[in-house]
Order: sequence, then C-alpha cells, then structure tokens
Amino acid sequence: MEAVANNQLVSIEKPEIVAPPNWEPVIIGILCNWCSYAGSDLTGTSRIQYPPNIRIIRVPCSSRVDPWFLIKSLQTTADGVLVSGCHPGDCHYITGNYFARRRFLVTKKLLSFVGFHEDRVQFSWVSAAEGPKFAKVVAKVTEDIKKLGPLHLYKKENFDK
Amino acid sequence: MDYTKQIQEIVAKLFAEDKIDVFAGYRMTGFDENQVPVLIQSSGEVSRLVFNDKSVFNLCNYLKYDHTRNKRVGLVVKGCDSRSLNLLLTEGQVKRERLYIVGIACDGVVDEQGNKMQNCEECMFPDALVYDELLGTQHPEGKYKVNSDIKELASKGLVERRAYFEEIFESCIRCNACRHSCPLCYCTKCCIDQETSKLYNGANNTSSAFHALMTWSLHLAGRCVDCRNCEKACPSHLPLHLLHKWNERVIYENFQEHLSGVKEGDRGAFYKYSLQDPDDFIM
Amino acid sequence: MNVEIFVTDKAGLQKFYEAIIAKNETYAPVEKFGKFDFKHVSSLSECDPDSPIEKTMSAKPLFFPRSAKILKYTADSSGTTVKETDEDPLAGKRVILGMKHCDARGLQVLDKVYNWDYIDSDYQKRRQNTVVISTRCDKAGTHCFCTSLDYDVQNLDAMDVLIVKGQDGKIFIKARTEKGEDFLKSNPIDSANSKQHPASEEEMKKQYDAFAASFRLKMNYKEINENLSKIFDTPEFENVSSNCIGCNTCAFICPTCHCFKISDEKIKDSGVRYKCYDSCNNGYFTLMAGGHNPRPAKYRRWRQRAMHKFVYYKERFGENLCVGCGRCTISCPVNISIFEVVNQVAKSEK
Repeated sequence: MEAVANNQLVSIEKPEIVAPPNWEPVIIGILCNWCSYAGSDLTGTSRIQYPPNIRIIRVPCSSRVDPWFLIKSLQTTADGVLVSGCHPGDCHYITGNYFARRRFLVTKKLLSFVGFHEDRVQFSWVSAAEGPKFAKVVAKVTEDIKKLGPLHLYKKENFDK
Repeated sequence: MDYTKQIQEIVAKLFAEDKIDVFAGYRMTGFDENQVPVLIQSSGEVSRLVFNDKSVFNLCNYLKYDHTRNKRVGLVVKGCDSRSLNLLLTEGQVKRERLYIVGIACDGVVDEQGNKMQNCEECMFPDALVYDELLGTQHPEGKYKVNSDIKELASKGLVERRAYFEEIFESCIRCNACRHSCPLCYCTKCCIDQETSKLYNGANNTSSAFHALMTWSLHLAGRCVDCRNCEKACPSHLPLHLLHKWNERVIYENFQEHLSGVKEGDRGAFYKYSLQDPDDFIM
Repeated sequence: MNVEIFVTDKAGLQKFYEAIIAKNETYAPVEKFGKFDFKHVSSLSECDPDSPIEKTMSAKPLFFPRSAKILKYTADSSGTTVKETDEDPLAGKRVILGMKHCDARGLQVLDKVYNWDYIDSDYQKRRQNTVVISTRCDKAGTHCFCTSLDYDVQNLDAMDVLIVKGQDGKIFIKARTEKGEDFLKSNPIDSANSKQHPASEEEMKKQYDAFAASFRLKMNYKEINENLSKIFDTPEFENVSSNCIGCNTCAFICPTCHCFKISDEKIKDSGVRYKCYDSCNNGYFTLMAGGHNPRPAKYRRWRQRAMHKFVYYKERFGENLCVGCGRCTISCPVNISIFEVVNQVAKSEK
C-alpha cells in the first residue's frame, strides 16, 4: 500500500505487483503485411513520432494471427499486444480480416474473463495510407497499458536479464 | 434411462448381418457403479454392453484411434455426443457411410456421486441429432441458458477473477488428459507439443498451464459441444467448463446465435464470418 | 530396537500438529477444487492431514517436482555460458504431514532408482532434509490393494514418524528412524495427554489387522510376476488397452512413476533447461530423432507400463514398482483399473 501512496504504478489485475521505477511497457505489435505494416512504414517515412514501446512483427494477414500468439506474447515478455490489419473489405486475401475479427473478439473476451484487463490486447484497422492513424493508435495503446501497470509475468521471473 | 437390452439386440443384429467391424459402447467396471467404454469386435462379447444414466464418456473420442480407423464402426451417442459427431463428419474426420449410429434420446446422465451433471440440466439438445436408429422418446428442443457458474464469476471483479484462475493454473499438472479425452482434439500432434517451435513451453508449471489451457480452449472455441469429457478426465478436478462455456456465450451472443454441431455441414464459428459481426472494439 | 510409543488422544494430536506447523516448514494436503494436493501450510486450519486416499494426490512432487530447473544459460556472440540455477525451493529442512503409507513406499522405490548408477544429488538433498510423518489409513479405499504387494505396510523405512489411530480414540505415535526420534525430541508430544502404554504395540497391530481386513481387492503378486514375464507377446494386451485414450494421467499422478524428459525454454539469448514429467503412455515418448518409434502402437506402450510395474523393476531391484494405491484407477478418464488389467493378462495364455 505504501507503494501506491507514492504514486507508483501497480498492476491493475494484481495490486501486489509494483512497477519498478522508470518502468516502460513492452508492447508486441502484430501487423499485416499489406496494410498496417505499410502504414507503419509510412509513419516512419513521414517522420511522425510514435512511442518506442512497440515491437513489430510482420505477418501475411491478420487472419494468420492465431490467438495462441497473443497468449504466448502475454506469457513471455509483453505487457500488451496490438494486432492490426486491413480495413474490412480491403483485405488482400479478400476475406481474411473478417475471420480474424471473430477470433479477436473471442480472445479479448476470454482474456478479460480469466483476469487480464480488456485493454491488454487491442486491435485496429490501419490502411497503407494511414500513417498518422498508426502513430495515434500506438500512442493510445501505450497510454492505456501504462495506466494498467505491469502484467504479472509468470515466466519472466525464470530468466536472468 | 436404461437401454441395455435394446442396444444388445441391435449390436447382435449388426454383427449377424455383418454391418460393422467394431462397436463402441459401455460396460460395467465390475467393481463399482461406474462404467468403462469398451470396443467390441465380435458378437460373443455383446452381453457385456450396458447403457444407463452412468454412461457418461463421449464415445466419439474413439473415432480418432487406430482401433476404429478405416473400419465400419457402430457407436452409441447421446445428444451432446452427436453434436461432436456432427462436427467430426463436417470436418472430414469420419465417413458417414462407415458409421452405424445408435442415437439416444437422453434424459441426462449422472456423475460419480449420483447427481445430475450440470451440462445435462442446461442441455439444449438432449436427443441425438444424427442417428440410424433412435432409442427413447424425443424431447422438445431446450432454450439457451447462460451457465450459472459463468454468471457468478463474471459478476466478480477483475482482481478476484485473476486470483481464481491463477489457482486453476497452479493446480494444473499438465497431464493433457483434457486434450486426449476431447473428441474434437484429433490432431496427431498438438501444436503445444511441437518441441521445435519457438512457441513451445519446456517447463511444466503455472506459466505453461496458462499457456496450454488458454490455447486449447481458444482452439476449441466455436466447436466445443459441452460434453464435459475434459472435466471428467481432469485428475485435479479443475472446472474446465468455465473457459468453454464463456467462449460459447460470447459466440452465441455476438455471432448470430451460433451453436456448434447442431446441423451436419455447419462448421465451427471461426470457419465462417458475417459482415454484421461486431466491429466496435477495433480502433 | 525398542522405541518409545507415545499414546495420546485427538486433542493431543491436534496440538502436536499445531506445534509442528508453528515450528517447522510444513507441507500438508490442502484442498483445492475437491482434490487434496501437498502444499506449504502455515496453520492447521488450511490443511487436512487425514484427507481421504481417493481424493489425495501423491507426495511425489515434493521430491521429484513436476518441473525442476537443471541449469540456466546465456548464448551470445561471445559464446555460451552455463550458470547454476537458483536455490532449490524444496531442498530446505521441512516436515511432511499426512503422507499416506503408499506414498512413503513410493519414496522407497524412487530412492532405489535415484541411487542406482547415477546419484541424483538434488533428490538426495530433498530426501535427507525431510521428516515424513505418515498416518495409517483407517480403512482401504475402493481401488486400494497395497497390502497384496510384496512389502510390509506396517514397517516402511521411509516413514520417520508413524501415527496410528487405535480404538477408543487412542492415538499412537512412534518414531521409526533416527531422524524421527530426533524430531520427536525437538517436537515433544503434549505431556499431559501422552503416556507410555505397555500394550501399544499390540493395539497398533490390531488396528493394522482391521485395516488389512477392509481390503476389497486382493491379488497374488507372485503368480502375476511369473506369468507376465512369460507372456510378452500375448494378444491380450491389445484387448485390455483398446479403450485406453493414451492421456498420461496415470503416470503423472502415480507415486512411483519416474520417467522424465529434458526440455529447454528460451527467450532471446537466455534460457533455462528443465526436467519435466513424461509418460511411457505418450506416443512420442520413444520417438527417436531419426523418426523410428519402437513403441508406435498403444498396446505396446500399455505393455511397457504393466511390465515395468510388475516385471522389469522386480528383476532389477527385487520388488514391484506398483504400490497398490489405486490412484491411476481413480483418475483414469475411462476407469481402466491396473489391478484388473494385470490380473486379466496374467490369466491369459500365450
């Protein structure tokens, strides 16, 4: 409780876990090759600043993202995950993101049911032309996860940094 | 509910007419009230078969093993079992012409203590949906009910739920009995057992239990038929139905009241989509 | 050996337990989801040392954990560095309450395996620093057959302190080893309630006889050992294993199964090597790197399990590997009973 009084960040799911000083969240960004990855490229080439907390992984399509990947990210290093793909109707593979959308909803709801805040996993549609939107999305996700505090990592404790 | 006699007659006839090579049914354990699934290969063993409200195990599980592969199989299915059979047929795991299905209009089965199982009280489809022959009187189709445990748990706070599930993951011993007893887990090698994968979990601890159970339940989301084989199999008595029932509820409420395995040809919820699916949670 | 037997009553035993928990690092059966598992406890109200055998997991994970760290390593451009792991959380001085006799017997089996050609130092340390307090069951469980096997349930070396619940609420406490004697000296039983009783040994024997008479399952293990060793190729194994779903549960909860696998877990450039449970019922257990699998069929794996329990271990160490606790039967999703299986197979002709 002392830590809370000092305005230190605590995990929203497990209040006994306190963030170390200068804690920065780690966010895994899983981006679709055809829209969001190109969008993030555009953000960079347009020299728009976005938080450096995100680690980007490129996948062929948002429907390539098995819910397993999100579970594994949260289990190992990430405090949050962002998955991004093409807008509905714009999928390079015509219908991939419609399938992905169903999985995202179920994954998000299940994670919140077992006690992970809903905002730990977030989703966005970012097209190749939406550089500024990508920067905004990353800023929002980072902001959200900073509020939630560190995720208690089952696994990180096993490893020496 | 006791169809022992009818089933014995049917199976004896099937063997006499040479319609099946093997029949999956139940027999008594011989030492208590419980039953053991049994695979019968000849008409001489028919007298071992029984069927009553202790016949809990979902026999569709046996359709994935060598004993039944490429053979003409007869089996007994209850309402929930027939839903998983429907999915297996739809997903191309078994061929309908190789099966002889004895359907049961089920009045509900009981657990080891003799209490009616929770899923039977909430059952929507007590009658077998796919069969060659139906035993018992048919029931009207039930209404969708939200599982009471789910309701109770969902009303609790995030911190409480996290603590409760952490207890579950801690008590899991990772024997994978849940996976093996699931009729719909038919992969020859499960993705979480792929040692060469970067996603593989080497340890057998809370962390890997979280990983395994969550992955497993998400791979079954939109397919699970609530037969509770997994829960009956769990040596730690974990309430595994919570994960599945929650997914079922989310899918039912959001995806056009999808229920898995109700019709033959109807695939799991993740194998189809609708333009009207909720989109408001995506930025 | 003339060992003191302390006689006390229920309240005295309660006080004895409470004193132990207050003074020592104690592990005892704790109920979770209707099943008792051995956990660290800090008060008697948390645990139940008299948990029923049907609902209690074995105490094996306290000596042979479900996953134990072997080493840590880091690998980068300068090479690989191997480091010692953190301190073993199970290696400290501790007491186990409420261990069943079958678990104590399981420890003796594991002792032999871990002291055979390679001495497992971690296991040794855990064993030496542990005081095992075992309560004799009042009555056999539905699937128990421990008295039918080739060991003396009354006199197990792995129990340091034996507690027997006699008639008229009398409770006998007896040290069985030097470790146990020292333990009883440092954790004395409430003297107001405890007194010497000349006929204690006899009363303990009487309780044992009543316990032994309550067994429903009885087998002639000698016949089974002999027959099984002769009928390796019997087709009966195929029949009895046909309804097995190959789920590994029996091995994971068995107090004597000791097969393990080694696996790595890695993040970026650092990793940990683990020793985890494995089971011979697992189809990939014997799969070799070249792709050959000596036990591809389910019945071969089942045969290995039955033969290891009743033949191979016996040939090497002179006793059965099975302790007759019946846990595998209770936990089996399809209620296969190892008792039934070995009896059925032993009866079959080649």
